[in-house]
Amino acid sequence: MVNGLRGRVSVQVDGQMKTGRDVVIAALLGAEEFGFATAPLVVSGCIMMRVCHLDTCPVGVATQNPVLRERFTGTPEFVENFFEFLAQEVREYLASLGFRSLDEAIGHSELIDVNRAISHWKADGLDLTPILAMPSLPAESPMRRVTLQDHEIDKHFDFKLLELAKPALEDAQKVKIEMAITNVDQAVGTLLGNELTKRYGSAGLADATIDVHLRGAAGQSFGAFVPKGVKLTLEGDANDYVGKGISGGTIVVRPDRASVYAAEQNIIAGNVIGYGATSGTLMLSGIVGERFLVRNSGVTAVVEGVGDHALEYMTGGTAVILGKTGRNLGAGMSGGTAFVYKLRADRINAEALEAGELHLLSVDEETSHELKGLIEQHRNETGSLLASRLLEDWSNSVNDFTMILPRDYSSVLKIRSDAVSDGLDPDGEATWAKILEVTNG
Amino acid sequence: MADPRGFMKVTERETAARRPVPVRIMDWKEVYERRDSGVVKQQASRCMDCGVPFCHQGCPLGNLIPEWNDLTWRDDNAQAIERLHKTNNFPEFTGRLCPAPCESSCVLGINQPAVTIKEIEVSIIDEAFDNDLVVPHAPERLTGKTVAVVGSGPAGLAAAQQLTRAGHTVAVYERDTEIGGLLRYGIPDFKMEKHHIDRRIEQMTAEGTRFRAGVEIGVDITWDDLKSRYDAVLVATGSTRPRDLPVSGRSLQGVHFAMEYLVQSNKVVSGIEVESQITAAGKHVVILGGGDTGADCLGTATRQGAASVTTLAIGARPADERPENQPWPMFPNLYEVASAHEEFGVRKYLASTIDFIGTDGVVTGIKVAETEIVDGKRLPKPGTEYEIKADLVLLALGFIGPETETLVAQIEPEVDNRGNIVRDSKWTSNVDGVFVAGDAGRGQSLIVWAIAEGRSAAAAIDVYLEGSSELPAPVKPTDQPISVYS
Repeated sequence: MVNGLRGRVSVQVDGQMKTGRDVVIAALLGAEEFGFATAPLVVSGCIMMRVCHLDTCPVGVATQNPVLRERFTGTPEFVENFFEFLAQEVREYLASLGFRSLDEAIGHSELIDVNRAISHWKADGLDLTPILAMPSLPAESPMRRVTLQDHEIDKHFDFKLLELAKPALEDAQKVKIEMAITNVDQAVGTLLGNELTKRYGSAGLADATIDVHLRGAAGQSFGAFVPKGVKLTLEGDANDYVGKGISGGTIVVRPDRASVYAAEQNIIAGNVIGYGATSGTLMLSGIVGERFLVRNSGVTAVVEGVGDHALEYMTGGTAVILGKTGRNLGAGMSGGTAFVYKLRADRINAEALEAGELHLLSVDEETSHELKGLIEQHRNETGSLLASRLLEDWSNSVNDFTMILPRDYSSVLKIRSDAVSDGLDPDGEATWAKILEVTNG
Repeated sequence: MADPRGFMKVTERETAARRPVPVRIMDWKEVYERRDSGVVKQQASRCMDCGVPFCHQGCPLGNLIPEWNDLTWRDDNAQAIERLHKTNNFPEFTGRLCPAPCESSCVLGINQPAVTIKEIEVSIIDEAFDNDLVVPHAPERLTGKTVAVVGSGPAGLAAAQQLTRAGHTVAVYERDTEIGGLLRYGIPDFKMEKHHIDRRIEQMTAEGTRFRAGVEIGVDITWDDLKSRYDAVLVATGSTRPRDLPVSGRSLQGVHFAMEYLVQSNKVVSGIEVESQITAAGKHVVILGGGDTGADCLGTATRQGAASVTTLAIGARPADERPENQPWPMFPNLYEVASAHEEFGVRKYLASTIDFIGTDGVVTGIKVAETEIVDGKRLPKPGTEYEIKADLVLLALGFIGPETETLVAQIEPEVDNRGNIVRDSKWTSNVDGVFVAGDAGRGQSLIVWAIAEGRSAAAAIDVYLEGSSELPAPVKPTDQPISVYS
C-alpha cells in the first residue's frame, strides 16, 4: 500500500464465508473479492454428508450415480436468492458503518471492533496487531484495485502465428511456419488454438494442418490448450506446463539438432507437463520434471524420464515412459494406461500398490504392437536415439516394459467390452449397475 | 460405516411385526414379536454415517447412532452396547417408549424412509442382556458425599446411576411402593414389560445405589430434613399434575384422570390387589385426549374388555405425511397408529367436550360439539352438539406441572408461572444444594429428555460436590428441540 501497488492487484478471500457480515469484515480487512463454496452448495441441497469422494451423495449434489442425481432438488434461483439476501445484509452493514459502497469500505480495518474476539478464551495469547496494522499512507493512496495490469497481450507471439496461419484458419489449408522462440514467449500456440476452435469447434482441423516449427527455448505453458489441427514442434527446450490442458493438438519437443549431449540423460522440459490434458499427442525427447501428466484424461504422451508424482490423478489416456521415474508414481491414478521401461516398483505410490488399486502387467502381444507404434512415432518425430535403440531389439526390450492399469478402470473397460460383445448398450442401465457393483460405487 | 451403498440397496424400513391383534389383546405382554437379527442388521446397513449426523441433534442424549449402527452391522454387540451405554443409561426403556425424534431427524428421511434407529437400539440392549454384557459398574472408590434423589422415574434413575458411578452414595426416594415412577405405573405392560425395570434396578443396586420406595418426601421426611441429611438433593418428581376439564358434571362418578386408571391397572397386572379398581370391563369408555396417554388408556380398556372405546381429540386430525410447516429435521406432529389404535375403538377429531351427563351422580354420557377455532382459541361450535354414551370417562389431557406443595411450603424454591421449579444453568434451584431434573423443571416431555436432564444434573451435582466432574452433560436446562415455533 505504501508503494501504491495495492491499486494494481485484486485481493480475494474465501473460507468460512457465509453471511453479509463476513463479507463486510473481509472488505474492512482489505479484500475486494469474496469466494463462497459451502454456503451456496447447502442452499442447493448439500447436507454436508462429506462423501463427495464416494459417489454416494444422497441428495444428488456430488455424484455421477443417475439414481442419486435424480434426487437433486436445487435450482439456480435458490442460489440467486441466497446471494440477494447476502447482498442486502452487506448493504445494511455498509449503511450502518456510513459507507455508500463496498469499495469505500475496503481496507478500513480500524472500523472492526476486535475487543470481544480478542478477549475470547480461544484467542488467548494471539497478537492480532500485525493483521490490523495500518501504515500511514500518502494522501490518495489506493486501498483497492484501481488500475488494470497491462499484460501486453497485443505483443504476444501468437499474433504472428495468427497472421501466418490465415490460410488454415480461413480455408483449412495446410500451412507450415518456421520461427525462432525465446523463453519470454509464454503460452505460445494458445491464442492460435483459441482462434481455430472459435471457427471449427471442438472437431478442429485435420492433424498438423497448422504445422509450426520453432527453435529456441519456449517460455511457460508452451502449447497450452492447443486443439486438433495444431502441431507445434520445438527444437530446443521448454519450461513448465508444456501442453497444459492440451485438447487435440500435437506437441513435439526435442533437443536442438546441433546439440551433442544424450537427450535421454538431460532435461527437455520443466514441471507439470500435460496437466489436465484431454486429448492429443505429446512427444518429448528427454527427461521432464515433477508431476508429469497430472489429471490427464486422454492425451497420449511419450517421454524419456520423469520426476516425482508422475501420473497423479490420471483418469485416462496413455503414458509411455522410456526412462527413470521419480517416487510416488500413480498416486490416485484411476484411469488410463501407462507403460514404463524398467519400472522400479518401489517408486509407485505405496498405498495404491498395497490396496491393489494398480495392476502391474507385462505387455502382451496386442499391446506390444500398440506400444511399438507409439515408440516408432516418438523416434520419427523427435529423432530419439533411445527410441531407436529400444526398437532395434524390440523382442527383448518389450519384456522390460511394465503396463500399469488401474484396477477399477480395467474392470469398467472389461464390462463395457463384454456388454458390446453381448449386444448390450455399454451405457445402458444393466451395464451401469454392473460397473457400480464392481467398482463399489 | 460398513457399507457406503447400504441405503441404496435396502430402500425400505422393516421393523418387528406386532403380534396379531386377537392374540395380543388376550394378554398384557409386549405387542412386538421378537426381532429378527438379520433384518436389524440389514436396517443398520442403511445408516449413511453422515458427515453431519442430524440424529445427534434430534436426540437430546446425543446418542452416537451412526457408530452403533455400524457396530450392529458388523455383529459386534459388545462394542455396540458399550457405545450405546456411553450416552444412554437405559436403552431398553427408550428403545420401547421413545417416539424417536432421532428418526425424524435422520438424514435419510429427506428422500427415503429413515433408518429404524429405535429398533436397532432396543435390539442392541436386548442382545446385550441375553449375552450377560450388562454388568454393574461399581465405583472404585467412594467420595464420602451423599445425594438424595427424589423420584425414581427416568430422570431420577439416570442421575442416580451417574452419581453412584462417580463414587457418591446415592439414595433414591419413591413415594409409590415400587421403584420406577411413570415407567412402572404409567406405562402399560403391553408397551414395556416391567421385568426390564427390575433388571436395571438389580444392576443399579449392585453398583451401590440405595432405593427407598414407599417414602414420600415432604410427608414422611420433610424436605428440610432431607436437605440436612444429604450433601445434595435432586428433585426429579416429574410433571404429574394432570390437566383437568372443569365443566359441568366433572364430579360425576366414572369420570377419572387417565393416570388414576392406568396406575391401578398396572398395579393389578403386576399382581398387586387394588380395592374397587376402576375398570373398563363391559363399559362404554370415552377417552379425552389423543396423545400417548390416551392410547395407553385405550389399550388397557381393550384388554379389560370394554364394550366400546371412543377417543376424542379437540384438534384436527394430524397429517399422515410430514407437513410443510414442520420440515426435516423437526419432529413432526403426525397421525400416529399406536398398537392400541390397531386393536380397538374409534378416534374422533375436532371434538370439543361441553359437559358430562349423568344420572344419580353417575356418568352416563358426554356432550360434545365440533371444535371451532375463534381467534386462535378452540371453542365448541354452537348447534353442532351431540351426545356419546359413556360409563367411564378418562381425561388424558396432558400434565401441567410438578406437584410442589410440600416442597414450596417447606424450603421455598422459586417456581415459574407454569408451576415448574426454576433452575439455573447449573441445574440448581434457588435453594442451595437442591437440584432439579426432568419434567419437574422442564414440564411434560419425552423420556429421552428426562434421561438427558438426569445425566446433566448428575454432572452438575458432581461439580457442586467435588469441584469438577468427568460426567457428561448432554443438555442445558434451557435447550429445546429444533422447531420453527420456538
